[in-house]
Amino acid sequence: MKKLLLILAFCTAMFAQVTKAVEVPYISYEIKMGKGFDEVNANCLMCHSFGYITNQGPQSRAFWKGKVDKMITHFKAPIAKGDAEIIVNYLAKHYGNGK
Amino acid sequence: MKRRDFFKTAAVVGVATVGSSAFGSDTTTRQPIDNRPISKINFPEKRPMITYSDRPPLLESPREVFSQTITPNDQFFVRWHLPEIPTKNDPDTYTISINGLVNKEYKITLKQLKEDFEQVEVTAVLQCGGNSRSAFQPTAGGIQWGSGAMGCARWKGVRLSDLLHRAGLKKDSEWIGFNGLDNAAYYQTPNFVRELHLSELDDHVIVAYEMNGEDLPYLNGYPVRLIIPGYYSDSWVKMLSNITVTDKYKSLFFMDVAYRVPDNETESETPDHKFKTTKPITTMNVKSVIGFPTNGEVVAYGSQLVVRGVAFDSGIGIKDVFVSVDGGKSWNTAILDDGKAGRYAYRGFRYSFKPETYGDVKIMAKAVDKLGNEQPLAEDIKWNHGGYKYNGIDVVTIKIV
Repeated sequence: MKKLLLILAFCTAMFAQVTKAVEVPYISYEIKMGKGFDEVNANCLMCHSFGYITNQGPQSRAFWKGKVDKMITHFKAPIAKGDAEIIVNYLAKHYGNGK
Repeated sequence: MKRRDFFKTAAVVGVATVGSSAFGSDTTTRQPIDNRPISKINFPEKRPMITYSDRPPLLESPREVFSQTITPNDQFFVRWHLPEIPTKNDPDTYTISINGLVNKEYKITLKQLKEDFEQVEVTAVLQCGGNSRSAFQPTAGGIQWGSGAMGCARWKGVRLSDLLHRAGLKKDSEWIGFNGLDNAAYYQTPNFVRELHLSELDDHVIVAYEMNGEDLPYLNGYPVRLIIPGYYSDSWVKMLSNITVTDKYKSLFFMDVAYRVPDNETESETPDHKFKTTKPITTMNVKSVIGFPTNGEVVAYGSQLVVRGVAFDSGIGIKDVFVSVDGGKSWNTAILDDGKAGRYAYRGFRYSFKPETYGDVKIMAKAVDKLGNEQPLAEDIKWNHGGYKYNGIDVVTIKIV
């Protein structure tokens, strides 16, 4: 009996709460359409959702430029120079604070 | 006031702020954004939560969760940095590798972790450094969290020091790097590695496999994560897979650029004059959040109301929580729980009163730690570019009818 209990205890200890792969849902975050959207769609979505952009709050052009630069310099996102400028313009226009 | 009217007013205020900032760099801090809608979609092992992003997942607990001193696993906040998170970790084959400047490098399985070492428990608060960031004006960089990027759980695991002891640290070892299984979309992107100095890693730091008596939820780092009581959560590496001991600090993006505050006495700066040197955010400051009632709650005149919430700090310990129901004119001592959950845990507080006026009543909570540090008013908190370490006095406005 003791042995059985021990085995049971062992099984419980190693029994995972979730046995199959979990699935993280996809959420379609609302994003403004306009010039530059295609570039945003092609370059940003690879690593993060639109929610990650829109939930930064309204920000200055300098802020958005800094973010895009950070993605290129630190996160090594392969964003072409021309695209980077278009993306910054898009973000400043649609998610800007007027500065 | 209609919603549209509110925005008109807000726009006028906005102009005023911009105007005054021309004279210097005026910054203001207000109450963090509250009452954000809860998503209709739930994430694995979670109830529906406030959802900022699905990839990487960013989930916030709604305010009412903070009327309890233990945060339920399925309402515990979630914050990942990199988009590729393993959706299946096999507990039978999962290993943590311990390597670098040690006498004997080794890998440890979950089974060994649970059987070969002393098992320890700690109840500790996990709070994002950017929790309540939406309080900062002008808008600080980062996700505009309300106050729900925090939680408190009972963690069970093994002391990091015991794991390191088995490997045997070499003479020159000074830094420990922690890495988890989350990955970027591009190979070239730096991993989310955290590096801590040996002096920061005392016996309270554990490698935990259990959270409130259950497996960690996937989104909280199943099967193991690092627990650093008193520290902000940026270093509590999830799905911990590798521990590397070194003699030199490696320059890493997530250590050198992110999660840093100005290295001056007030840890503040202005948008136009950012402070040149920065330091990691490390330990948490004293803070409290009201869990009940919540903003906009309607309460009948004459009914006894019990305000409930949680208070915490970096482990110094909460001495008092004061509650004001008259807009901060007078402060009343709240009743604290027995504190048996330990100095790193939430200290539950409650304050019972009978509202004596009709209309809006402002309920405020202020925690004081054992060294006398107390929470400032929101408007007295100074700005920093990352919007870190907000700990303003919480305010909830209810309506008495």
